[in-house]
Amino acid sequence: MNEFTPNPDAELDALFARARAQRPDTSRAEYGFETRLLARLRSERNSSSIWAMVSWRLIPFLGAGVVALLVWNAQLSAETDDAVQTAYNENPEAVEIWSHLN
Amino acid sequence: MAPEESSTPDEQLVEATLGGDDHAFAEIARRYKGRVFGVAARFARNTAEIDDICQDVFIQAYFKLRQFRRDSPFEHWLMRITTFKCYDYLRKHRRESGSISVDAMLESGHEPSAPEHPAAHPDLERLRAALVQLSPKERLIITLLELEERSIQEISGLTGWSASNVKVRAFRARAALRKLMEIKT
Repeated sequence: MNEFTPNPDAELDALFARARAQRPDTSRAEYGFETRLLARLRSERNSSSIWAMVSWRLIPFLGAGVVALLVWNAQLSAETDDAVQTAYNENPEAVEIWSHLN
Repeated sequence: MAPEESSTPDEQLVEATLGGDDHAFAEIARRYKGRVFGVAARFARNTAEIDDICQDVFIQAYFKLRQFRRDSPFEHWLMRITTFKCYDYLRKHRRESGSISVDAMLESGHEPSAPEHPAAHPDLERLRAALVQLSPKERLIITLLELEERSIQEISGLTGWSASNVKVRAFRARAALRKLMEIKT
């Protein structure tokens, strides 16, 4: 084993220690942060309140859509029942085999 | 004139913020911005990006404030949001930048050290360039563990990963970093 090979982990640890010691100075970036934050907060609140207003106004239309879907679904299932009944009257064996397979 | 230090407890400021007092939230931001900026600066490339990350952190904290449970200090909760935002930033940035070698990065001056860093030693520049090459998870863990000196338990709390998962990821991240650093030498 080569005794002179530096320990890569020790090397890495030394680099980390040096990087830790050199903390980035963020004081310039921090200057006036609260003012910028509150300005953004106000604009975010305004946009979210607009969305809330629009979504409340959409509720009646969405409700009407749900009712229409329910009615359509009920009609469709009634028609399907009728079709099954007609088919059963015409050929009961085939319908039984079909329902057994499903 | 330096801003006056407020001794109002965090819980009281949180309650006041929930009651609609924006000045209370500004006080929370003033109190913790140093910590949040310090962590964000380890990941971001420039002042504008640091500011973006920090604003995102505090905006999310504001809108999720009702979810803050009083069973742990406010600072822990805020640092958890900071960690997630930094991780999000790394993922987005990774998608945008694609892959570029450490050497090419150093030669092109593409290396993303923030301008606030004083003229760094070439080895530190190399370390930063290598960190950029790590996956977001690897970079997050190396930064928290080695640069921010967080314990395994703390990282587990911040990321939501199990302690053993953190250990495994840290081991792999170090190995990846070693490999990347060896490319240069």
